[in-house]
Formats: sequence, C-alpha cells, structure tokens
Amino acid sequence: MRLFLAAAGAFALSLCVAGAHAHHSMAMFDQTKKVTVTGTVRQFEWTNPHCYIQLTVKGANGATEEWSMEMGAPMYLYAEGWRPSTVKPGSQINVTINPLRNGGKGGVVLTVTGMDGKQLGKKA
Amino acid sequence: MRPGVAVLAGLLLAGGMAPASAEDIPKPDAPKVRAAKFAKIPYWDGMWIGEHLSTNIGGISKEFLEARDKGEAPARNIMSLTGFGAPWNEEGKKRQAERMKVGGNRKAMGWGFPGMMSSNAPLLFLFTPEEVLIINAYRDVRHIYTDGRKHPGADDLWPTVWGDSIGHWEGDTLVIDTVAVKNPNIYFHGGPPLSDDAHYVERLRKVGPDRIEGTVTITDPATLTQPWVVDVAYKRADGFERMISIDFDNDRTGNEDGVNTIEPPKDEK
Repeated sequence: MRLFLAAAGAFALSLCVAGAHAHHSMAMFDQTKKVTVTGTVRQFEWTNPHCYIQLTVKGANGATEEWSMEMGAPMYLYAEGWRPSTVKPGSQINVTINPLRNGGKGGVVLTVTGMDGKQLGKKA
Repeated sequence: MRPGVAVLAGLLLAGGMAPASAEDIPKPDAPKVRAAKFAKIPYWDGMWIGEHLSTNIGGISKEFLEARDKGEAPARNIMSLTGFGAPWNEEGKKRQAERMKVGGNRKAMGWGFPGMMSSNAPLLFLFTPEEVLIINAYRDVRHIYTDGRKHPGADDLWPTVWGDSIGHWEGDTLVIDTVAVKNPNIYFHGGPPLSDDAHYVERLRKVGPDRIEGTVTITDPATLTQPWVVDVAYKRADGFERMISIDFDNDRTGNEDGVNTIEPPKDEK
C-alpha cells in the first residue's frame, strides 16, 4: 500500500510538472535517486514507444548482469542529436538513471557519457 | 454514378435514411479562387513545441530536471492541459480522484486531444483553404475543416479521441471549435477527465517569427463549475527539421503486482 501511494504521488508530480512520456507516467521510477552505471553496450534499441540501452555490467561478485536503460521515444533523442548509430554495441559508457522503484536492474536515463566523460549525441 | 455508389444510395433511400449531409459541405472553389484564398492564409513553417516542454534524452522536461537538481520546486505546471488546477465540480473532482488512484501504472499510445496541444511531442501546423491539419510525432492527427461547414448533425457525430473540429480565421488568428471528444483520460492517463459533451474553443496566433500563443477555453457543465481557460504557447522545436515517426513495435512496459516495470528485451524473452 505504501508503494502504491508513493507511486500515485509520483504520478501526480510527473503529470503536474515533469512533462513526461505519453506512454506511461514516471511513477515507476524513483525520482529522488540517481545512480550511475558503467558497462558495455550489448544492444541499443531505437524503437517506439521508448529507446533502450541494454548494458552489460560487472556485479559486486564479479558476475555480469544486464541493465535495461529506458530512454524517451526516438523523437526526443533525435532532437538531442542522437541517431541509431550513436550508441554502438561493444562500447563502454556511463549511464546515469533514476532507478526502477521495484529494485529491478534498470531505470530512466538522465545522461549518457563515453569513457572520456563527454556526453553522447551530435549536440553535446 | 458508379454502380456501387448507386446501389448504396438506393439502399439508403429505401431504408428511409438520407445519405450523410454531403449537400452541407461547401463545393470546392475554382482553381483561381482557391489560389487567391490560399495566398491569404498564414504559413506557420517548421515544427513547434510547448514553450516549457523541451526534453532530455529520457523524455523528461529539461525545466523540471533543472529545478529538481537545484532542489527547487518547478516554477509552473508545464503540461497545462492535464487538468490539474481546472475548476472541477463535484463530478470532476470525483473523476480526478479516480485517475490519481490508477494513473501511475497505466500506459497509452499517444496524447489524444487536448493533451497533444500541451505535450512534449512536436507539432506540425498545415493550412489549406479548406482544412487545417495539426499532426504530432505520435501520429495524433487533427482535421479542422475551415471550408465553412458546420459540425455534423447528432446522428453523424460520436465521441472520438480527437473529436470533430471546424475552424476559421479571424485575421491571423486561427479559431478552432471542437466537440465530440471522448473523455480524454480514457485514451491517455495524462488527459483531463472531461465529459464527452465538453466544448473546446482554441484561439491560436503566431505572434512572432518563433512563437505561437493562444488560449484553449473548455466548457463542460458535467465536470466543471465554469469555463476552464488555459494559456498555451509554442516555440520552435529545436533539433527537428523533419517529423520523426516510428511505429510502436517495442512496448517493454510491463506490470508486476500493479506497478509498472521494464520487461526484458525481445531476444531475452
């Protein structure tokens, strides 16, 4: 129940002020937390209703795990100078996200930088 | 008359039904007259976006993120047509309370009307003498007839996500009259939960090379205590020199225990 109320509250916030996706509200993400994850790109999905980066990350015990990094619709990435070729499989990147509330390995992307610290995308 | 059309017309007449009121639709102008009309219509070139609605690569408002990073509350309700702050009556408040219960974990395939008019999906305005088209990147399309016709009669009208729109020009102001919009919150969780009988009047004007301003006035006695007047403004949508439309073939938003989550990619399912 507490989770539900928190989600409803976040929904109100996301609608009132955030200007979020048409596809779903931002309530599924914890907007009070920022996490930066470094890993190797396995796949970049340039798709609607969202783009996704599948990131292979080394876990604490040395085993690899895969994170699903949700982005906006392709149109929002396009406006920021991203193209389907911007993220290449095999490259190493840092992805900063608001993580999923349910503790799953994923979140909504805030920034993506290369290992040189530069933001990806033609406009950056 | 082609045989199929003749048969259809015969069937309609035999059944006591008049064909759709085609006689009420103005006849096309002669080419020269039409060209002269076309020359007088404004041209709002390019693509446009709500003035506070540019997003980052996550699809989140940059203004919202900047305020959040400073630890401040956002200065304004940037998606003004979502319905928060509308003069709801008791029925409207009831509908607002219901949407709050379930909205956080719903999903949608577009904005619909009126949401698309204050969304972060860029808009294209296209004018002809007979029709205005407003299209966004989610392929929400509004057909606004400016040829002098009226809304269809009651038998020819039913609620839809985008409603029925007619319009006209008052100088360089585009005036749009829209009815028969299905409760916008059914299609889109961010839509205001107005009734199907709501009446929408938009007045839009390009006030400078890079800015369109206007109002949306919504009258809906079923859910509102008084007309709800919303200011809208659009700026040029940076980064869009063409419309970016892609089909929805990768919906990975799942739901676990009533809460939305991200599902694995297709190749891992």
